[in-house]
Amino acid sequence: MTEFFALYADQLADWLPRLRQAALLTVALSLLGFALALLLGAGWVAMQRSGRPWPRRVAQAAIQGLRTVPLLALLLALYFALPALGLRLSGFWAGVLGLGLHGSAYVAELLRGGLAAVHRGQSEAALSAGLTPLHTLRFVVLPQALRVMLPPLLNSYVALLKDSSLCALIATDELMLTARAIASESFLPLHIFLLVGAFYFAIAFPLSMASRLLQQRLSRGRRGQGAT
Amino acid sequence: MNALDALPSILVTLAAGAWTAARIAAGALVIALAGGLALALLVHASSGGSLAGRLLRGVVAALIEWARNVPALAHLFLLYFGLASVGLRLSPMAAAILGLGGIGAATLCDVFVAALKSLHVGQREAALAAGLTPWQTLRFVLLPQMLRLVMPALANFASQLLKDTSLASAIAAPEIMFFARQLVTSTFQTPLIYASALALYAAMLLPLGWVLSRFETRLTRGRLEATP
Repeated sequence: MTEFFALYADQLADWLPRLRQAALLTVALSLLGFALALLLGAGWVAMQRSGRPWPRRVAQAAIQGLRTVPLLALLLALYFALPALGLRLSGFWAGVLGLGLHGSAYVAELLRGGLAAVHRGQSEAALSAGLTPLHTLRFVVLPQALRVMLPPLLNSYVALLKDSSLCALIATDELMLTARAIASESFLPLHIFLLVGAFYFAIAFPLSMASRLLQQRLSRGRRGQGAT
Repeated sequence: MNALDALPSILVTLAAGAWTAARIAAGALVIALAGGLALALLVHASSGGSLAGRLLRGVVAALIEWARNVPALAHLFLLYFGLASVGLRLSPMAAAILGLGGIGAATLCDVFVAALKSLHVGQREAALAAGLTPWQTLRFVLLPQMLRLVMPALANFASQLLKDTSLASAIAAPEIMFFARQLVTSTFQTPLIYASALALYAAMLLPLGWVLSRFETRLTRGRLEATP
């Protein structure tokens, strides 16, 4: 056992700077992907809620379609197949686009659920008080919906962060690809993959915990309201 | 040569990959269900209790958090490359089934615990008092009631799992994406091959979703008829 950890002591000086660099890229990749997922997700929801049937159908089809596609297939298609159609993306941007598209289907469901959780009377009251629809959304519905949406949104960011590891397979120098490179140089795959797992864990676990605590506070608050 | 001439042979090759993907998903599903239920019973049953019991629960909780906050790809690399480096050589299929199944067990554990908690404690007590063994209580009283509660989450998990089998291509399990990448290097019909792969996943997922939702409505229909 001590032998196992002694090997780390020899290697960490070489590994840690590279992994730190790669971790920054993973964070950038996942944050950009999540921002795109939020934008697209909000777009799908806006289309779903519009009165006309066509936008609704397109959004529905997009969400359904994105849910049946494995992320890896989407990433490989974006990275390898798009150049044949004349659009060449670097691994990083293909990754951002793939993660964003893939995440948007899940984010759209969360946003829809969060908006639906706000009682209809709230927006009706705001509208009849003379607020414009945009102001109603901005000042009345969204602040209440955000409280409900925040915990699941944090969870979906964690999912997207983990999914960003797939970008290793489209030549993006993020954590997983860096770990693979180190593994093939050092012949210590067990050590490096445990360490890289710990890197992901260190980023994801606090966010998962925060999501859970927020969720608990939220349900406690709601119970409190129900009692009074 | 017309690009579409290659389509039949592409589809035949990818179909072989679909068969592997189905086997990986089936194996992982069995592990996830059995493991998730076992973990849930452990977490649920041993609240309070001895020091050993608490220690065991702590270790299980830590493992579950690890499985949830670390990417699946890291788990597959650990099982396939990591274990091989210490002399335990798993086949790609075995590593994929174990990895995806293990992560699934950690995911489903929570689902099962929530279902166990929501069943009235009187159900178990009455069954035990009526002379059923603990196993019979679980099999004939608790599980049938739990199944109704967890079915939506299980259906979701099963479709997700089928999509996640695509990750096994990263450890050279001969599934759909593995063959897709091989075909790309031999035929260069990149867009056609990836489009076929995406269509193949959809062709597997849509019937699966349909069957699962049929099963789900049947479970709830029995419930509704039994209520009055």
